[in-house]
Amino acid sequence: MSALLFDGVGFTYPGSAAAALHDCSLRAEAGQVTWLTGALGAGTSTALLSAAGLAPRHTGGDRTGLLLTLGLDPALPSSGAALGGRVALVLPSPATQLSGIAETVAQEVAFAPANLGWPRARIQARVAFAMEALQVTHLARRDPGTLSGGEMQRTVIAAMLALEPELWLLDEPTSALDTAGRALVHALMRREAARGAAVVVASEDTDGLHSVAETLIVFTNGRPALRGPPREVLRGEQVWSAGAASTAIAGLARAAGHAAPRPLTVDEGVALWAR
Amino acid sequence: MTPGSGTAAGRLHPFTPLVLTLCVAVIAVAAPDPLTAAALYAVTVLLVVVTGVGRAALRALVPLAPLWLFLFLLHGVLGEGDRVAVMGLSLSRAGLALAVTQACRLGAIATASLALHASFSPARFVDAVADRGWSFSWSYLLVATLQALPRFRARAGAILDAQRSRGLRLRGSPLNRIRAIGPVTFPLLLGALAEVDERGFALETRCAGEVTRRTPLDPPADRAGDRAARWLASAAAVAAVIWRVFG
Amino acid sequence: MNARLLALLPAAIAINLVIGGLVNAMGLPLYLDSIGTILATVLAGPAVGILAGAIGQVLFGLINGYQWIPFGLIQVVIAVLAGVAASQGGFRSAGRSVAWGLLTGLVAGALSSIISYVLFKGVTATGTTAVVTLLRQFGLSLPAAVTASSMALDLVDKAVAFLVIGALVRSSPNRMLGRFPRAARAVAR
Repeated sequence: MSALLFDGVGFTYPGSAAAALHDCSLRAEAGQVTWLTGALGAGTSTALLSAAGLAPRHTGGDRTGLLLTLGLDPALPSSGAALGGRVALVLPSPATQLSGIAETVAQEVAFAPANLGWPRARIQARVAFAMEALQVTHLARRDPGTLSGGEMQRTVIAAMLALEPELWLLDEPTSALDTAGRALVHALMRREAARGAAVVVASEDTDGLHSVAETLIVFTNGRPALRGPPREVLRGEQVWSAGAASTAIAGLARAAGHAAPRPLTVDEGVALWAR
Repeated sequence: MTPGSGTAAGRLHPFTPLVLTLCVAVIAVAAPDPLTAAALYAVTVLLVVVTGVGRAALRALVPLAPLWLFLFLLHGVLGEGDRVAVMGLSLSRAGLALAVTQACRLGAIATASLALHASFSPARFVDAVADRGWSFSWSYLLVATLQALPRFRARAGAILDAQRSRGLRLRGSPLNRIRAIGPVTFPLLLGALAEVDERGFALETRCAGEVTRRTPLDPPADRAGDRAARWLASAAAVAAVIWRVFG
Repeated sequence: MNARLLALLPAAIAINLVIGGLVNAMGLPLYLDSIGTILATVLAGPAVGILAGAIGQVLFGLINGYQWIPFGLIQVVIAVLAGVAASQGGFRSAGRSVAWGLLTGLVAGALSSIISYVLFKGVTATGTTAVVTLLRQFGLSLPAAVTASSMALDLVDKAVAFLVIGALVRSSPNRMLGRFPRAARAVAR
């Protein structure tokens, strides 16, 4: 059973003429990192919200097709309780994801496990683990409202890590992080996949993720247009015509007139042009 | 809301200051004469000082002082009935009694309220409610609202400054000002709606509003002293009401 | 209570308590302390509006004086009336919004005077002095003038509040309204 299954899924937001998703089929497997990318409005965020069941439960609108998250239809009211704590959704802006009642970062990270009624010892262990993994342990006693954007984003991710989720849905999780922070989160994604979780990340961070994900799915106009191993897809020309972008080096090579397959990293570029 | 954790008041069980403040308010309203009211005020100040939040008693004097002056003038100086001479002034005896009663009532309530404010800790309150197994939703609602107030105030101020710097005229004719209501309130309201959207997603993902009983992260100790204080205060409040109604 | 309400209510209550200060900084003597209540009602129904208004008024009273707490009843009435207005598409134009706002202001003003009189044996001084002075020129006694000016203020306050919320919801994109189906009905979309 795939951790996440879309089969001919369509989704239209209320009052919208155009569908945000149509004929969308994809799978995300446990133990792997699946990377979604696409131009703005291509549907990657909607795909994640649908996978979490928040579309249509919170957003309204109509969903068609078959969508199973951990084997359950997330749009059903009964799925809320069944999936609670097993699916981690991380959204782009960290400030609005704070609980609103935590006085310290430690309390913030403990928010979800406490809501699920976990025993205190388990909560404390997971919170310590999660804070350490996101390197926010030194901020444990800080007021979450006083954190910088990057610290807040890492705190929010730690808050999800504390739950030991089976499925990660990450929407631009590194937008506020510096290079070190991004590397931290990428390493976390790999470790979570190694642990057996399914990691789905929607991101435009092409330079960062091509060595992290097993599968890249490029969305165009609400449906997956390209899929394959990231390096293969990014070296090609189709990724550009699909409205997405490849790595900076590949873009440079393309602008310089180099045909596909193009180099992806600085080292590959040097190897190519130093000849 | 400052945790005030360094003080004895901060170490009390969170329900204790709440119950005590409520009882002080009830007794204050029920107190019929200057002596009772003054005794209540004295006891309140004593409690507040003893629990380490004595500054609340002082801070209460700021709004109280002008009120006391007003009461003194209105009832004491301008009151009717037989006069009594105090320090060369001719004051109404009945008016003075009324002024003292009112002044002490207000003093007790203001002091207790400020002390409550100084010792309230949102996290401890949420933990106390969770410890009892009561609904998390209501305690979340209260605390989240309290935490939201300064955030919204700051945002409102920033919007006002931003619009002013863009040339929005906030003074002038009433029509001008009414026209300015939109540009000033809309950003705040729209921002709030967007935040509600995203925070709703986040709260759902983090299982807020679940029917499971929330685990208290650091349950506050409910000592014998706490319970005794709450029972005594409640009994005194009930007695005061009965005395006032039937006495 | 679901997560969506837990996100909406604190914001609606905070709006009730904060927006008044914002408007006062502009020199307008309006409260707009029910704007959050009306918003919550239009978005999620009168039950939610009642919660927002009642809890907000209790908090207001805790901060500014316990005597204000009984006026929470007025917030309840405002929520009910806003709910009726919303179900009738009462926000679908500026004119309709103002009409419903004036009606609500009338009821709220009357109720406010009644509560003031019953609980405090007198009027709470909320009327603007300019209007009070004007009314006294017409021979009204001071209490009557204060009551009348207080009612006039309530009329304007609620009319403006309904106008603002109506304009806000009408200008919201369909995508936003879709998240709040009741709001779509309130502007008849």
